Amino acid sequence: MATDNREFIDEFLVESTENLDQLDRDLLALEAEPGDPQRLASIFRTVHTIKGNSGFFGFSKLGALAHSGEHLLGRLRDGKLRLDDRVTGTLYSMVDAVRSILQAIEATGTEGEQDYRDLARQLAAAAAEEAAQVEVRSSEPEPMDEPGESSANPTAELASPVPTLSASPAAVPTAAEPDAPVASVPAAGGPAAVIPAAVVPVTPVPSAGGTSSGSTVADSTVRVDVDLLASILDLVGELVLARNQLRSIDTEDPAVLAVSQRINAVTSALQETAVKTRMQPVEHVFSRFPRTVRDLAVSCGKEVQFTVDGADTELDRTLIESIRDPLTHLIRNAVDHGIEPPEARVAAGKPRAGRLALRAFNESGRVTIEVSDDGGGINVERVREKAVARGLVTAADAGSLPDERVLQFIFEPGFSTAQAVTSVSGRGVGMDVVRTNIEAIGGTVDIHSRPGVGTTVRVHVPLTLAIMPALIVHCAGERFAIPQAAVSELLPVRRAAGGSRIEGLADAPVMRVRGRLVPLVFLDTFLGLRAATACREEGTVVLVRVDDCEFGIVVDGTRSATGARGCRDLLEAATLSTIVVKPIGSLLAGMGLYSGATVLGDGGVVLIVDLRGLSRHANLPPIEQEDSAAAPDGREPSERYLVCRTRAGRRIAVPLGSVTRLEQYRTAEVQTAGHRRLVRRGDGFTPVHDADLLLGEPVPSHPVDGTISVVVLGEKLGGCGIAVEAILDVLPADAAARPTHPTAGVAGTLSLAGLATDVLDLTGLIGVAPPA
Amino acid sequence: MPFEPVRRWCTFLVGDACFAVDSAAVIEVLRDRGLTRVPLAASGVLGLAHLRGRIVPVVDPAERLGVHPTGRNTRTHLVVALGDDWYGLLVDEMLDVIEIPPARIERPTAPGAAGDVVTGTYAAEHQLVHLLDPERMIQALVRQGAHHAARPGGTHGGLD
Repeated sequence: MATDNREFIDEFLVESTENLDQLDRDLLALEAEPGDPQRLASIFRTVHTIKGNSGFFGFSKLGALAHSGEHLLGRLRDGKLRLDDRVTGTLYSMVDAVRSILQAIEATGTEGEQDYRDLARQLAAAAAEEAAQVEVRSSEPEPMDEPGESSANPTAELASPVPTLSASPAAVPTAAEPDAPVASVPAAGGPAAVIPAAVVPVTPVPSAGGTSSGSTVADSTVRVDVDLLASILDLVGELVLARNQLRSIDTEDPAVLAVSQRINAVTSALQETAVKTRMQPVEHVFSRFPRTVRDLAVSCGKEVQFTVDGADTELDRTLIESIRDPLTHLIRNAVDHGIEPPEARVAAGKPRAGRLALRAFNESGRVTIEVSDDGGGINVERVREKAVARGLVTAADAGSLPDERVLQFIFEPGFSTAQAVTSVSGRGVGMDVVRTNIEAIGGTVDIHSRPGVGTTVRVHVPLTLAIMPALIVHCAGERFAIPQAAVSELLPVRRAAGGSRIEGLADAPVMRVRGRLVPLVFLDTFLGLRAATACREEGTVVLVRVDDCEFGIVVDGTRSATGARGCRDLLEAATLSTIVVKPIGSLLAGMGLYSGATVLGDGGVVLIVDLRGLSRHANLPPIEQEDSAAAPDGREPSERYLVCRTRAGRRIAVPLGSVTRLEQYRTAEVQTAGHRRLVRRGDGFTPVHDADLLLGEPVPSHPVDGTISVVVLGEKLGGCGIAVEAILDVLPADAAARPTHPTAGVAGTLSLAGLATDVLDLTGLIGVAPPA
Repeated sequence: MPFEPVRRWCTFLVGDACFAVDSAAVIEVLRDRGLTRVPLAASGVLGLAHLRGRIVPVVDPAERLGVHPTGRNTRTHLVVALGDDWYGLLVDEMLDVIEIPPARIERPTAPGAAGDVVTGTYAAEHQLVHLLDPERMIQALVRQGAHHAARPGGTHGGLD
């Protein structure tokens, strides 16, 4: 029998689950506005429907439970008892019990072992007890409302009767204060007789659980299996490919062109429509949250005013499921750790109830979901300390990191489970999981917090994963797709000065883009398609930005040797097209380099580069904060320095602008000519000065079989090299630092990443060693 | 004795050894499809093909099966389903689909390294047929890779 009915049972389960969500919403609304007859009627109907269906399928426990609930609700609806915390609590327990029975049915086909008779008794008791109370009171002789008044303005009445009813005898006079909005209610007790009469005309409550109010919606919607939708979308994807193929056929035949154009238009429209079928309002996820917040607030002893905005924002349904857990987590965090207990809030001069806002909106082709609270905020200093303690950053660097960056540490795995952070600052239990989940669907998370003011977490997710615009680039004879959402611009590589130029720091190619230094990844060598090329003279740089990382991907340019290369050439190297994202199988996706593949119009398969994975694999440094690079008062962006360690152990810096190359030589390659030391480079020699010697330090002797690192300076500085022990980093000068105390060989001392660093006096250096 | 249905197996040659996969898992045999390289993937991954709207990674099972075919010029791919994903196996020659009574399947004996991906052996008239577990084999072939991707090579590897 179970198998015969399976299809119907499935339908029943789907419907009931939706109904339960509605029930949660209704109960919450009812708590806010007790006695709202429409809500009561809706709740009653829902429970009644569940009862009826469970009887039909022979689920006796469910039926009994729903019956008790219905009885209680019936009395509430008829105004025979009032809604208080206890009744609401009992109703919530009933919803939970119904939900768990439904889950058991879904999983096992039976109602499960749990015994709900206690709960049923509780429901019955609540109904009976309250009824007795009401009866006592309604037996008090009270004057009735004037019928005319009550029917003329039924809502004014309805908004108030339940509080009036619920008032204990002592409180009755308050409820009937003449200036209260319920002025038309003369005294407590009276309404008990009035309301039932008033309710009926406002909402004709169907006694047999009719669904009249929902029928118009039901008629215009159809339940469709998700797999069916998915296969429709797949087919549309195929059609798009075929369309692309059609378009790439070279023909002059006007008839063919006309048909081709028509197919083109229809396919585009069809594609758009098909994508829409996958879209669902985020409501589906949001609807649970008011209940979550309520329960959490109760259990944490907090008062929370929860608002939801933009629940009709649409998102691909597969994504909707993926944001459920991360959002639940963020909301839990906000209530549990973000919002302070009422007393603390009052002490801090805030309203007792904390505000928690959930907001969804469309923003530049993505959906942004924002969870913000007006709680205590995150103690950035604690996070900073914790990050240092965990070795995520050195103490010196931590000091100079802007707060925004420090907050990002919260997303580090395992970072926030530390008790110290959660108890003091509040946020971040399992934030790494939140980030991982969001990133898995191509989204990003950022966090802003101000101590005492609150915390806002923004989750940005793509609208859909199925179809997206992408840049198709050529590289070493292969083609790759780069998601266009991440691409900010395309730049031609120019060897000549004046254009965008790849600068030759051997292991770390960078490019200057409007004052910023952007690290580059040569796609061909990175993917092992071609042997390393130190500095390519042609190609196109695709500038991308993911998370807090900006980098350029160098792909092949056109082969044209002409100097002037315009837009057209760039487009030839990289074409934009709308691609259908196809999975490449979980095993290859596990590589973390490709997020999928697509089939182009010519039938060729093209891999989609996973930019996040690429930046991770390429070990790119996070982007410099713009606010530290470009000072707010309009000063020039602070200069960047190459930081090195000399063999004597001194930390020195060379302005990056004066460096042309970094090279390594074996010590055996260093030749001595008179008092000068030289290394061969090409067909000439480069004089090399030991940094320690320039600084007047004793020079340790070179190990015979070691290597030395040489910083080669530009021609203006004689093109000479400076030998150092190791090259450490490229850093901007800390905003506040100024060169100070020039001494021999030192132009000044700067604070770089919080450490005092001597800047070499390069112009003085030329005097010391005239060009070879 | 419980009834066990006779399963049908697709047999094929890799080198001169005969292997078989359960025909229920077989989707199609592709011939002469161009493949798209997957840079930095494990060496057993030959590339990606396109079949009925899906992307099909194609792997070369020879090494994993311990056979070393000489002078191959085959472009035949046997596409099998692994859960929701499809994978292609490069084979030298497709043979028949045969029925093998479960009782006739013997303990696996397999050439070379194939031990853990062969689930049983069937002695056909002329040769031994090694029954493959395509899932295990493909996982073993595809799983490596990408971890060597962090190798510097024109990439930004930090300055020190």
